[in-house]
Amino acid sequence: MAINDRHPQRRTLRARALAAGAAMTLMAPMAACGSDDGGVPVLNFYNSPVENMQSVVDRCNQEAAGKYKISYQVLPRQADDQRVQMVRRLAAKDDSMDILGMDVTWTQEFASANWIREITGELKSEVESETLEPAVASAQYNDKLYAAPNNTNVQLLWYRKDLVPTPPKTWDEMIKMSQQLKGEGKPYQVMTMGAQYEGLVVLYNSLVASAGGSVVDESGKKAVMDEGALKGLETLKTFASAGVTSPSFSNAVEDDVRRAFQSGGGAFQLNWPFVWASMVQEAPDLAKKVGWARYPAIDANTPSKTTIGGSEQAVSAYSKHPDLAFEAIQCLRGPESQLYLAVNSGQAPSIEAVYNDPSMNEAYPMKDVLLEELKTSAPRPRTPAYQNLSTVVSAELSPPASIQPQQTADSLRKSIQDAIDSKGVLP
Amino acid sequence: MSVATRPSVDSQPSRRSRPALSEGKKQERKLGWLLCAPAAIVMVAVTAYPIIYSIWLSLQRYDLKFPDDREFIGLANYATVLSNNYWWTAFGVTMLITVISVTVELVLGMGLALIMHRTLIGRGLVRTSALIPYGIVTVVAAFSWRYAWTPGTGYLANLFSPEGAPLTERASALAIIIFAEIWKTTPFMALLLMAGLALVPDDLLKAASMDGASWWQRFTKVMLPVMKPAILVALLFRTLDAFRIFDNIYVLSAGANETSSVSMIAYNNLMKGLNLGIGSTMSVLIFLTVAIIAFIFVKLFGTAAPGSSDEDGRR
Amino acid sequence: MATETTSAKVKWGLLDAIVVVFALIPVLWIVSLSFKTTATLTDGNFIPREWTWDNYKLIFQTDQFVRALINSIGIALISTVIAVVLGTMAAYAISRLDFPGKKALVGVSLLIAMFPQVSLVSPLFNIERQLGLFDTWPGLILPYITFALPLAIYTLSAFFKQIPWDLEKAAKMDGATQGEAFRKVIAPLAAPGVFTTAILVFIFCWNDFLFAISLTSTEQSRTVPVALSFFTGASQFEDPTGAISAAAVTITIPIILFVLFFQRRIVAGLTSGAVKG
Repeated sequence: MAINDRHPQRRTLRARALAAGAAMTLMAPMAACGSDDGGVPVLNFYNSPVENMQSVVDRCNQEAAGKYKISYQVLPRQADDQRVQMVRRLAAKDDSMDILGMDVTWTQEFASANWIREITGELKSEVESETLEPAVASAQYNDKLYAAPNNTNVQLLWYRKDLVPTPPKTWDEMIKMSQQLKGEGKPYQVMTMGAQYEGLVVLYNSLVASAGGSVVDESGKKAVMDEGALKGLETLKTFASAGVTSPSFSNAVEDDVRRAFQSGGGAFQLNWPFVWASMVQEAPDLAKKVGWARYPAIDANTPSKTTIGGSEQAVSAYSKHPDLAFEAIQCLRGPESQLYLAVNSGQAPSIEAVYNDPSMNEAYPMKDVLLEELKTSAPRPRTPAYQNLSTVVSAELSPPASIQPQQTADSLRKSIQDAIDSKGVLP
Repeated sequence: MSVATRPSVDSQPSRRSRPALSEGKKQERKLGWLLCAPAAIVMVAVTAYPIIYSIWLSLQRYDLKFPDDREFIGLANYATVLSNNYWWTAFGVTMLITVISVTVELVLGMGLALIMHRTLIGRGLVRTSALIPYGIVTVVAAFSWRYAWTPGTGYLANLFSPEGAPLTERASALAIIIFAEIWKTTPFMALLLMAGLALVPDDLLKAASMDGASWWQRFTKVMLPVMKPAILVALLFRTLDAFRIFDNIYVLSAGANETSSVSMIAYNNLMKGLNLGIGSTMSVLIFLTVAIIAFIFVKLFGTAAPGSSDEDGRR
Repeated sequence: MATETTSAKVKWGLLDAIVVVFALIPVLWIVSLSFKTTATLTDGNFIPREWTWDNYKLIFQTDQFVRALINSIGIALISTVIAVVLGTMAAYAISRLDFPGKKALVGVSLLIAMFPQVSLVSPLFNIERQLGLFDTWPGLILPYITFALPLAIYTLSAFFKQIPWDLEKAAKMDGATQGEAFRKVIAPLAAPGVFTTAILVFIFCWNDFLFAISLTSTEQSRTVPVALSFFTGASQFEDPTGAISAAAVTITIPIILFVLFFQRRIVAGLTSGAVKG
């Protein structure tokens, strides 16, 4: 919404809302009871507000040629709010939800509660053959596929080419460079998300994965907090107390970090690729001086592993038209839709082949590094109680400067186990 | 004075005739029920089931993620919550915020009410602008405070602490949260108190003034007694609102550095954790705490409380 | 009491100024955010370096915001009127009449106000879906009335309690009819309480987010505070801060009008109260 003219096609709120409004007025009576009354079956697609998503829905409806009609039901902007809305309906066995646009971290939870259907048949083979492997993995529960990834994401290292000629390979190196810049009186800060929320868990998960460790075991039922997890705590602590972060590090979320970097105080930024388009638009002079590189590693000889994010689509267990819904997903997350949203709405594709399209070069100049990182990315702990785990971990790690590695590891092991077992109280 | 010697017109005769209800008394009962019925019916119809259901949930192990494990466990959830550190830390923080913000708001609100009520010039302007903070959507106000206090992006942070980040330290974050709360809700107090002030008869004040009473005496001896019911209502509703503080903390610090409130913890357990048992338990505990506070207030104010049989107290 | 001397005026003027500054500076900051361009949004300047109307144009470009505004105004007004009427009736009975169950009503209404609403929304959602009230105006008006009633009853009883009701009798003895006595004597005295209540109830309905987001799902009944959370940023992580600020400023205007209109009535109560026999 903030930027209207970044891309000529991006008509933002207006076109989408008009279309959505029209669709809703038409569909409202049907949506309310979820029935189709002899007409074209209506598939309610609950998804976060994504710019230009309505165009994708319109195209899919056209292709369906009367077989079904997808109705885009917009959810609130905040991921937590989206999940609450969906869960409330699912718990009430609401049959008016057909297709669910989900965050990757919800797969386990929704699948284990039997709220979403397993994906089989044509859609399954499509998803498994063309989608990036880590994205497929994040859509699985107990080795079965439950969702179709339509967008995927990893954080990159953004750095000032004019201040550091070669980007740092490791965290230690980055901290040293930053301290040196600080000594020279130049912009030096390393900016990233450290507030008490999901973003802090993403940061810690990347550190743990890069150190080759894990927080929970393969089954997702037992808290392990191994050597690598401890190493992650040490690195986070060192980073937070080395005097290289911005003063508001422990209260910063994605957009704060982007803005702070744009206003020029930082030498490094660890953030999702969305920052690039905004920078080109809002701080073009700075953008010329900014480069990107792979997320820093813990050890110079072991490449980093970064936390994978993104969204996916699944079919509600209570949908009255599951087969049609699966068919609709084939279109909604198909290559054409993904390319369209990648170019027009800044959603990185989950289908590898889409990255080869020439129009991706302009929108995603960083796509090579992005792909490289995506292919080796790390999932967040896979457990149905992920939200519990995330709440506990972010509370224990906040503020990062106060971490006492060994002590924090021990207390995390206990509280993560409680979180997985859904025992006790969440902070 | 008319206020002090008000006879209760209808009920008086019936008081003495104990044995059978007089016709007037019956009529009064009927009218009373009739007038209260619509409000009572709406309130009970909408809330009875949800409240009872919540209390019922608090006695169960019920996690939406593991619906099969649902079972009745008596008061075990209460034991879990009441023996938890997170809960007590949040409880302390919430108490602190409630006590400080309500006290400051009462004093400020009284001052504001006096100004809005008695100012000689610009009364409409003062009244309207003083109420605007209360009318602004809380989340938006909270975001504007967050920007204002974030170094590099806000005017307040640049002004007061160019080096540090006040929202990342416990004491300063709490201070900012309390300040945001006070700024937002003092108008609520002030408006209620001002309407109370409007009931203080002018001739009473004049008489006191002629008797040589100082301003402070007029305030404590004449105004405060008449305003007592209004003060009680303002205190009561502000306290139960302050104790459930959520938005400001959620936006300003997200509960970091031990600034979480009981409502935030309840939200995390209920909505994020989908643990209906524990979440409902917390709701009931918040409810009980607020009820105790309310009970103390009502007792302290005695006959000023609505519905109390004030005839005896007043004469 | 001092007469209207210049020094008194200066004193009040100063106090007024303090109040206005304290109340409005943070509001002006939101106004300032709403006029900033995206590039300068958080440059830390209190006064925008570059002014733009874009944010306001943006929110009025679609009917999304306007629809929400209409819903908000309609739902808040209807809820306020009903809550104040029901509250006045109940409060009159509570402060004037003696009947069994009075204390229970007072107690229960306070209990309702005290229960954390976050745990009530899910059961309410289920009920409303069964009754077909979900995502309708009545579906929001009903809870709003319910949760505004305790405040209304308490505020109004507090005021009715302090009204010198024998004035009514005095007026009747002076030859006024029951209606006249009520209109000329009681109504003006009750007005401050009633209008204060109306303002508070209106603002409560106007600002509610929790019920509005849980009990609506389309533009049919979505109110403004909820519509704000549906605004999209340029991408997933970007907040449409400018547009949200512009919307917040815009929706404060009806509140200002509402208060401007009703604050006079609060004065009315005072002056009529002073001219009594």
